[in-house]
Amino acid sequence: MEKFRVLIVDDEIDFVETIVKRLKDRGLDAVGATGGKEALELMEHKDFDVAVLDVKMPGMDGIETLREMKKRKPLMEVIMLTGHGSVESGIQGLQLGAYNYVMKPVPLNDLLKQMTQAYERKLIEEGRER
Amino acid sequence: MAKRLNSRFFPYIPSVLVLASAVLTGVFSEPWQAVVLLVIAGIAYINAKGTVKTIDKAEEACRTLNEQLCRAEKLSTVDELSAGIAHEINNPLGIIAQETQWIKHVFKSKSLQKLKEIEDCADSLNQICMQVDRCKEIVHKLLSLARELEPVIQCLDLNELVSQMTNIVKKEMEERNIKILMNLETNLPLVYSDPPLLRQVVLNLLINAAHAIERDGEICVSTMAVSPQSVKVIVMDTGCGIPKEHVDKVFTPFFSTKKQGKGTGLGLAICRGIIERLGGNISVVSEFGKSTAFTIHLPINRIPQGDILHGS
Amino acid sequence: MAPKPKILIVDDEERFRNTMRKLLSIEDYEASVAGSGSEALDELHKNNYDLVILDVRMPEVSGVQVLSEIKKLDPTIEVIIMTGYASVDTAKEIMKLGAYDYLLKPYAISELLEKIDAAYERKLGRRQLTEP
Repeated sequence: MEKFRVLIVDDEIDFVETIVKRLKDRGLDAVGATGGKEALELMEHKDFDVAVLDVKMPGMDGIETLREMKKRKPLMEVIMLTGHGSVESGIQGLQLGAYNYVMKPVPLNDLLKQMTQAYERKLIEEGRER
Repeated sequence: MAKRLNSRFFPYIPSVLVLASAVLTGVFSEPWQAVVLLVIAGIAYINAKGTVKTIDKAEEACRTLNEQLCRAEKLSTVDELSAGIAHEINNPLGIIAQETQWIKHVFKSKSLQKLKEIEDCADSLNQICMQVDRCKEIVHKLLSLARELEPVIQCLDLNELVSQMTNIVKKEMEERNIKILMNLETNLPLVYSDPPLLRQVVLNLLINAAHAIERDGEICVSTMAVSPQSVKVIVMDTGCGIPKEHVDKVFTPFFSTKKQGKGTGLGLAICRGIIERLGGNISVVSEFGKSTAFTIHLPINRIPQGDILHGS
Repeated sequence: MAPKPKILIVDDEERFRNTMRKLLSIEDYEASVAGSGSEALDELHKNNYDLVILDVRMPEVSGVQVLSEIKKLDPTIEVIIMTGYASVDTAKEIMKLGAYDYLLKPYAISELLEKIDAAYERKLGRRQLTEP
């Protein structure tokens, strides 16, 4: 699989650490953040292809973070993760340009498939920009 | 009218001409010559009739094309219009918001705070701020309708997409005793379309169905292959239905039967905008008081191999 | 007190630019105003500014044109674009041209202040990098 850059954002440190490690094992360039602010700071210094973003986080929530991410890096694709599907945030997220809205818990292989498709989309859009 | 007459009489003209010229030149000396001439006249008639049919078909095609063009034109006018309206409305709203901020600041001055009425004014001011926010939200929704969406085409499994979106609403549906039935065709071909845009449409339709039911009922989601070129998705609900006189209007921007302040009447308009940009169409059938079914037709858009970025 | 940036507000609506200046002055920000793109460019030639808050849709010279002129004149001036609407596409275009951020009208004052501070911070950071 092509190595692409992934940013994992979730307020549960354990979740972030586990998933980052497992994605690295699969050959991805994965970085974790435990909040929206931290994620945006990381984005200042590094370009990511795909972000996986928890909807419900204290402080800056997922929707707010998504809005900021899309503003700064419109081409980065974002997959929203949610523990308990909220219809409202689902439609909001998609309208703000999220690639998908996925229910937790999600098997790693499924998430990986989603991330690959999101990455594919980013490549298509980048190709169009040139 | 004249055109209709033309196409009715046109097929006879060549045959009449053949017969007339025969009579005029006096070739009817032998009976067999008359028979030959009649046959020729008959062939001329059939040929001419065929021509008329072809012309009719071409006219029909022309008419549909024209209608499509009209819709496309209307769409782009709506796009431009809403972008324009958004601008023209958000600018004055910007001024109103700033002025209220300023008044709020002025109210903080010590001499004014002694006044009893100032609390009343502050309350009104807050109300103004809230209403400005409301307008802002409507305008932004209007914009997502107008937003120039250039779809990004990817290979997708429609059944998987539909199931994912259904999963999101499942829990809220259970709480309201709404059952979700799935009727997905097992051998549905993969579709080349824009996944996030389609997710938005499907989720929108599901939310709409739930609104129509409120409590206790069923939503049935089905997918099926229609032809080698197209598939369809149907979202059916056993909700309140749409009155006959409203069926034509449900996709019109700002048309809403929901209570004031609830819903902007843009959801279905956005859905139609998306589906049409993806080369499909969306329609609705409803029985008032009983059920409503939205049907999306989507082209499969097979892409020649090699054009796909990453075959999965 | 932390240093405050020198700001130029550019908007064709007189009432809008003046009230914004008043609102900024409450928070101790010093701002001047310009009513058009050409007026803004004149002002930028004459005086030094750290930050320009720029309306995107103005008659004659559009905000996008002014933005590219500003960046030609002095790339270290940070620009915050104001707009009544922002589709992903316009946003993309604006950010590509070097704007720091954009502000949707109507905006909340806290939002404006946050963006001003962040933009100024970036400008100061840049200066430290370039100056020995």
